[in-house]
Amino acid sequence: MNMIELENIDKTYVTASVETRVLKRISFSVQKGEFLSIMGTSGTGKSTLMHILGCLDKPTDGHYRLDGTDMVSLNDDALSHLRNNKIGFVFQQFYLLDRATVLRNVMLPLIYTKEYPEDAKEQAEKLLAAVGLTERATYRPNQLSGGQQQRVAIARALINNPALVLADEPTGNLDSKSGADVLAVFQKLNREGRTIILVTHDRNVAEHANRIILLKDGMVAEDRVISSPLDADAESRAEAEKEMSK
Amino acid sequence: MNTLRIAQECFLSLNANKLRSFLMMAGTIVGIAALTVIMAVGKGTEKKVMKRVNAFGTHAIMVTAGGGKGFSPPQEGITTLRLEDAEAIKNEISGIEVEAPFAVKMGMPVKAGSNQVQTIVMAVAPEWHDAFDWYPSDGDPVTEEDMATMSRVCLLGTLAAKDLFGQQNAIGEYVQIGNVRFRVKGILQTRGVSPMGDDFDSRIVIPLSTGLRRLFNQDYISNIRVKVKDPAQISSIADEIRRLLHERHHITPPAEDDFAIFSAADVAKVARGISGILTLLLGALAGLSLLVGGIVLMNILLISVGERIKEIGLRRALGATRRDIFAQFLMESILITTSGMVLGSIFGWIITVGLARVTKMTPVITWEPFALALGFALLVGVFFGVQPARRAARLEPVEALK
Repeated sequence: MNMIELENIDKTYVTASVETRVLKRISFSVQKGEFLSIMGTSGTGKSTLMHILGCLDKPTDGHYRLDGTDMVSLNDDALSHLRNNKIGFVFQQFYLLDRATVLRNVMLPLIYTKEYPEDAKEQAEKLLAAVGLTERATYRPNQLSGGQQQRVAIARALINNPALVLADEPTGNLDSKSGADVLAVFQKLNREGRTIILVTHDRNVAEHANRIILLKDGMVAEDRVISSPLDADAESRAEAEKEMSK
Repeated sequence: MNTLRIAQECFLSLNANKLRSFLMMAGTIVGIAALTVIMAVGKGTEKKVMKRVNAFGTHAIMVTAGGGKGFSPPQEGITTLRLEDAEAIKNEISGIEVEAPFAVKMGMPVKAGSNQVQTIVMAVAPEWHDAFDWYPSDGDPVTEEDMATMSRVCLLGTLAAKDLFGQQNAIGEYVQIGNVRFRVKGILQTRGVSPMGDDFDSRIVIPLSTGLRRLFNQDYISNIRVKVKDPAQISSIADEIRRLLHERHHITPPAEDDFAIFSAADVAKVARGISGILTLLLGALAGLSLLVGGIVLMNILLISVGERIKEIGLRRALGATRRDIFAQFLMESILITTSGMVLGSIFGWIITVGLARVTKMTPVITWEPFALALGFALLVGVFFGVQPARRAARLEPVEALK
């Protein structure tokens, strides 16, 4: 079953009198349970594509179906609800609220759900346990390391049990050990059946996925399957050993 | 409904920036405090005014001999006001229910046995009881017969009776006023403080004819008390009386009057005194504080929207609708002003209590200022919160997350 279907997606920005065509006739589909990396150097339109995939922005032309819903025809409110219950975001800068505890940060998307789950707190605690941060539940984000903060953000992305997890350069602000830990979490989630799209400029990061789409000048330049993805768990262990031997 | 959940977010945000929150509140606190004080002082003043007006009589007009001010009795030796004037007023002006001329003497020595007091003696016509709504609680009123026979009888105020006779029944006993012996025929109802500030109940009342001929030895009166049928007509009737007296006394304005006319409205004006100005000043302060406070609030909120663009973007990405974002910032604004209102009310209440201690004002604390303050707080919160909230809600998520 296709989780995502993109058909001739075009995005053109108009500033002053200059028209910039950022995405050109992009078409691909993503199956449920895939782990896809979208790769490209800066300026190739990968951020724009990621915004469209995340229903944060609309294409100028083309069709986008997410989990059976045609998002292009939806209004702003409907898109907000779609983001709330179908998409989990992980950002490069984490975007956690320092004034709230880690647990509260994880529960943040629940503010905007129609039905507030009765076991919200238990769910959040379970997710924190899944990313290995049970003891940090009452901490403030600024008391955590970067890697820990990004794992809190992943737990937050999962609280509404989304169909799709979208990660935008999730390891961009992390050292290699923390980066490997975060990627290990993504790989574990994917093994559990979660659909993940990871946007990055870094080939080493991209190759942790099962499939890579390479963007060049706003077009799909390459779409290939990775038969043997890199193992983030192994890298994390290797980094840890390196630390020990220092 | 997620409104409650969003409200919780507001609380967290305001709690995290205590100084900023306080600055946003400051204007509301001052404004509401001033408002609370005004209302309390105003209420207290109105209560005082009503008490004075009721003591004077809501239907009453008082003509006093001599120019002068206030409702004080005329000075000694003013002989311009006469019984004929009272007669003319009664005959020529309509709308009068009852009219009673009387003469007053201050500081008359009164003796009963070994007890002696100095008090106000009023020589009154029988209509005086109706004109003042002041009747004997015990014994008999001043009658036409007393007038005709110039009988030496008197009625005592309750305080005068107590001073002269103690607990003993005074009716039928004799008192000596000046050099004349009077038989006590009645005790007047307890009436309390007069508009002049003295105690009505220390006064003594005698028949007008007796007073003029036997005691005061004069042919002029000091006052004419008029009670009108319709209080709405008070000022027009007062004007007619003034015109008639001008004519009778051959006075052409701007020549000075040899009489003064007071009505309930004048009493209220005198009783209000400077409290009107005070209310006006405090009102201006309250209005200005709320306005300036609102503008400060709006600006800090706008700055806060600018600082929290990333947060807004994040919330939008996590599923907040524009309405949710709008609600969050508007509620922050309202939460600020209502918190300010609570602090301001407490503050105002403390000032009011302090004011009651150090001044002669008697502020009255009621629920109205709090309801009004809540209304103002909501108004300011909404009015000055809408613009920042709208700005926050308008942000495009993609722009906010850049």
